[in-house]
Amino acid sequence: MFAFSTKRPEIPEELLTTLRPVTLAKNKTLPLGGPWTSLVPHGGLRRGSTVVVNAPQGLGGLSVALSLLSGASAKGHWAAVVGVDDPGVVAVADLGVDLRRVLFVPRPRGAWAESAADLLDGVDLLIVRPPSKASHGAARRLMDRVRERGTVLIVLAEPGAPWPLPSDLTFDITQSQWATSSRLDARYLTVRIRGRGEASRGGEHVVVLPNRRGQAEAS
Amino acid sequence: MERLVAVWIEELSVEAPDGATLRDTLRLLEALEVLCPFTEVVRLGLFVFPVRGPSRFFGGDDEVLKATRQTVLDVTGYTPSLGIGEGLFCAEIAAKKQLILEAGTSEAFRRSLPLDYLGRKDVATTCRRLGIHTIGAFGDLKRARVAERFNKHALVLHALARGETAELREQRDQKLKLRLAQLRGDHVVGEEQMGFFGQRGAADERAEVAAHRLRRRLGPEAVLVASLCGGRFPEDRATLVPWGSPPAPRAPEAPWPGQLRSPSPTTTLTQPVEVQLRDAGDQKVTMLSRGFLSTDPAALLFSSQLRREIVWHAGPWPLIEKWWQAGRKRAHLQVLLASGEALLLVAESSRWWLVGIYD
Repeated sequence: MFAFSTKRPEIPEELLTTLRPVTLAKNKTLPLGGPWTSLVPHGGLRRGSTVVVNAPQGLGGLSVALSLLSGASAKGHWAAVVGVDDPGVVAVADLGVDLRRVLFVPRPRGAWAESAADLLDGVDLLIVRPPSKASHGAARRLMDRVRERGTVLIVLAEPGAPWPLPSDLTFDITQSQWATSSRLDARYLTVRIRGRGEASRGGEHVVVLPNRRGQAEAS
Repeated sequence: MERLVAVWIEELSVEAPDGATLRDTLRLLEALEVLCPFTEVVRLGLFVFPVRGPSRFFGGDDEVLKATRQTVLDVTGYTPSLGIGEGLFCAEIAAKKQLILEAGTSEAFRRSLPLDYLGRKDVATTCRRLGIHTIGAFGDLKRARVAERFNKHALVLHALARGETAELREQRDQKLKLRLAQLRGDHVVGEEQMGFFGQRGAADERAEVAAHRLRRRLGPEAVLVASLCGGRFPEDRATLVPWGSPPAPRAPEAPWPGQLRSPSPTTTLTQPVEVQLRDAGDQKVTMLSRGFLSTDPAALLFSSQLRREIVWHAGPWPLIEKWWQAGRKRAHLQVLLASGEALLLVAESSRWWLVGIYD
């Protein structure tokens, strides 16, 4: 009769032992730091995924993106930041990012997508802030490349210039409130996290970013 | 020339194959740095440090030598030969002969030495045949006469004999400092923390290749690496250097009184933007000489006539740096705009600049 209706032969024992998955699930995710471990499904960023941070300019988007690096950076992974013009190095260090393993490409001169694609081969996490609205094609090519390389792409988008494609994980900053004393003390960010799969449940969370030590903290 | 204490340890001068010599050298260097922070290791087995400071501290040259001898004995178990002389050349010979040359006597000592100490057999033999037996007599020769007869290396010896230079290049081991730094670095830096310019793994190689490619695409200044240095304000504490340039000095953990505490702005503008501060009556807000604001600011004006309301401000924190020379007076101010953005402003020479954004 049909080929598929025949009973499958038993797989020998010694062959079974070699059929274990080569990559463990935990190797497929990059660790997160601070409050994100409990807020993001599996507590990590899946390799090959694209994360979009949506925030109006100046309201904490960069802080959120940088704080997503901290866990992996402390574990020895390399990161790159493309298109963030004048990174505040002190704040980056305060957030727990190891400066020795971060490459900054502040002004990619219109070649942000190509720069990002070049860096994908070398780093495990990549923050990109497109200087203008990213084109559909450029975004598609970059995301394909990310999936193929097993990197994590973190896109900084604004409501005026959204990322044109659906992402695996999205952080929307809906509210930003500073706590002040005789100086700026801490900022309470309301973040809505949504995405595919387990992340689709979503939910709004308030995180303190930065707190008095410049770090991210659950509120 | 500076008077130096030279510490000569014969046992450490020949490197053992198991690396024990290098480890002992490092341990001894660290111990001697307690006696004098300017101790340097010239080559294996030879350490020098200036005698002036320690001598004043311990109360005499003899006391310094006593303390040094005890330190070497405690750390390595060897008895060193110690000597004091002006300049590295004299100091080394004084140490090997165990002499203390009083201030001002090193010149005569050097002149009286036989030519063999210069370490060049051909020069010594030729000069001896010419009736020149001491370094002093060699130095008295005219420079042109020496250049006629010998090559340019002899001119270096001649300069030393005349007292124009204090040491010979052959005395120093150029690579030793680097090797010791590597050895020291291995002790300090753990497995996980291997950095950009330290020891490297496969991930570091990959990142380097990617950075190379990007640099070819965008130019040498395109890829930057960051490090922290000392300073009071975020714009002073950060150093962004092109990738591949020499490593910046490590972040000093010294306290900086008056440092602006965290949180720091996530964007620090390398080229500050000039802004204007206005009060409720649309008058300019200025810094007074005592470090106060003339009035409370109510609005922030960018040069493009973009006007933003200020809802809160903190500071100003005045800072007068290097007042003993051309002083730099600055004052920092944190402002919170009605839109929710927080900014760091600086007043300098009666103008306001935007230096940081808390994004």
